[in-house]
Amino acid sequence: MSWSAFLWRNLSRNKVRSLLTGGAIALAIALVCFLATMPDGMNRILEQVATNTRVVVHNEAGLVYPLPYAYMQKVRAMPGVVAVTSWTWFGGVFKEEDGISFPNFAVEPDAVGETWPDYGIPKDQLEEFKHRRDGAIVGGGTLKKYGWKVGDQVTLKGTVFPVDLTFKIVGTIPNERAPHFWFQREYLEQAVKAAGGTFDFLGTIWVRVDDPSRLDPLARQIDETFHNSDAQTSSENEKSYFKNFFGALEGLVFLIMLVTALVAVCIVFIAANTASMTVRERMREIAILKAMGFSRRSVFGMLVAEATLLATLAGAVGAFTSLGLTRLVRYASGSWNPTMGPLASFIVSNTILVEGLFLAFFIGMVSGIVPSYGAARRNVVQTLREVF
Amino acid sequence: MIQLEDVSRVYRRGADEVRALDHVSLSIERGRFVALMGPSGSGKSTLLHLLAGLDRPTAGRVMVADRVLNEMSDDELASFRAQHVGFIFQFFNLIPVLSARENVELPLLLTKLSKTERRERASTALRVVGLAERAEHMPSEMSGGEQQRVAIARAIVSDPEIVVADEPTGDLDAKNAVEILALLRDLRREFGKTVVMVTHDSRGEQFVDEIHHLDKGLLDRTVPGGGAA
Repeated sequence: MSWSAFLWRNLSRNKVRSLLTGGAIALAIALVCFLATMPDGMNRILEQVATNTRVVVHNEAGLVYPLPYAYMQKVRAMPGVVAVTSWTWFGGVFKEEDGISFPNFAVEPDAVGETWPDYGIPKDQLEEFKHRRDGAIVGGGTLKKYGWKVGDQVTLKGTVFPVDLTFKIVGTIPNERAPHFWFQREYLEQAVKAAGGTFDFLGTIWVRVDDPSRLDPLARQIDETFHNSDAQTSSENEKSYFKNFFGALEGLVFLIMLVTALVAVCIVFIAANTASMTVRERMREIAILKAMGFSRRSVFGMLVAEATLLATLAGAVGAFTSLGLTRLVRYASGSWNPTMGPLASFIVSNTILVEGLFLAFFIGMVSGIVPSYGAARRNVVQTLREVF
Repeated sequence: MIQLEDVSRVYRRGADEVRALDHVSLSIERGRFVALMGPSGSGKSTLLHLLAGLDRPTAGRVMVADRVLNEMSDDELASFRAQHVGFIFQFFNLIPVLSARENVELPLLLTKLSKTERRERASTALRVVGLAERAEHMPSEMSGGEQQRVAIARAIVSDPEIVVADEPTGDLDAKNAVEILALLRDLRREFGKTVVMVTHDSRGEQFVDEIHHLDKGLLDRTVPGGGAA
């Protein structure tokens, strides 16, 4: 028999208790590992949706405030600008749905292909989009969600503008996660005019530049240009723009991480309680071991090693389960369940795996130290007198 | 082999002072089978703990195998016990999750012996106590007498010079008690071990070489036992 076999036998002495404690630790470590993927996962999502050649311009007061349409011309004339397109929120609702379930914007059809060349919209579809006033380009995600296809007619009920518009889908963004619904600005303009209104504003301006190094200088130039106007602008690169959307989510992630840290602390107490119970039940045995010549150090080491072994094994189960689940989600999203798309960005990396194992090791060690120290220091004669 | 010179042991219980041993001097020669007898509270277990290196005297000197135990640190005492003393207790105290052989191997974890050597030694010790064929049985599958034999094998597996036994027959029926006493006597006869036993069992008197009677912490008298050569 070896020391490791002795430790293992001691762990299997009360299987139910070891399993329950191990289960709690495994669950906590799995949770910690998954949540540790959040910051990297968010970054990965941002990198997927953003390029380093676009600037987004919106009202400094916030995204819900409009900008004058005349800004488009001024931005277009700036050096280094390759293409400019505006987005204006239509807020259209499909059929009798309760709310807006996909983002629909009025855009200038001429520059869409040049502003978003990375979206891979087929040229013939872009051409048709330019020439057909009621044409719409719809992202693969929304097409799939509603079972639409190119050639279908779709009516959206306006919630921001007092008009309902019927579109013919002429093209698609070939990405099963893309939710966009783009249509011609002119189509909305005419409908609004017909309803007696005016439409001379826009929501955001998307600018593509010829050189990534121009991004920040151009953003500064745009903001300086409109600095003293009624509608001052705030320009930023695309990644930063999307990051603002995730800002609230990052706060939530921080909160979740905080709660997870507290869970880890609770697990330390649970594991410490288990270790205390184990030590108390084995007081007689420990006294016998010490009588046989086991030193305080070896008794302490043995008891701490037991707690650490249990926690590390449980942590390994938790960490690898977390790894397996995130890989399964990634596999699923790439093959038979594309709706899991965003979750595919949250992958337990080797670093997270090792961190999870270290956390489990640490939990085991810390939980074992106090009860083991007490047992190791206990006077052997006193214990023998008490238990015999 | 074992020499106690004017040894006293005083315990404190709150404000009270309990004199468990009071100026006891005793000498036990190598290879003797000795019984410590006396009523409860007479100090025999305290004396056993002192000469086994489990406790230190308040006054006096304890010398075992040419080593003065009073001067040793806790770690030195632990090391001394591992090398020189084997323990047998009344309630066997085998580890329930280990087989008989693994229980016997336990003290050898403190040595530098290889896994194979540890296994061989444990098997030999079990053969000495007549339990070779029960080596893989768990304690719960064995009778009280068998468990005590395993405990004896565990006490001798590291080949200590001294075996101390605290009421080794206290939890056994008459037949098993006699067998265990005979086994302890054989350890002394065949392997030259010095065996010191605390007992209330008068049957033990026939097996031991000498009996030290204690009363109220004092060594009352020493008489020869039935096993004296």
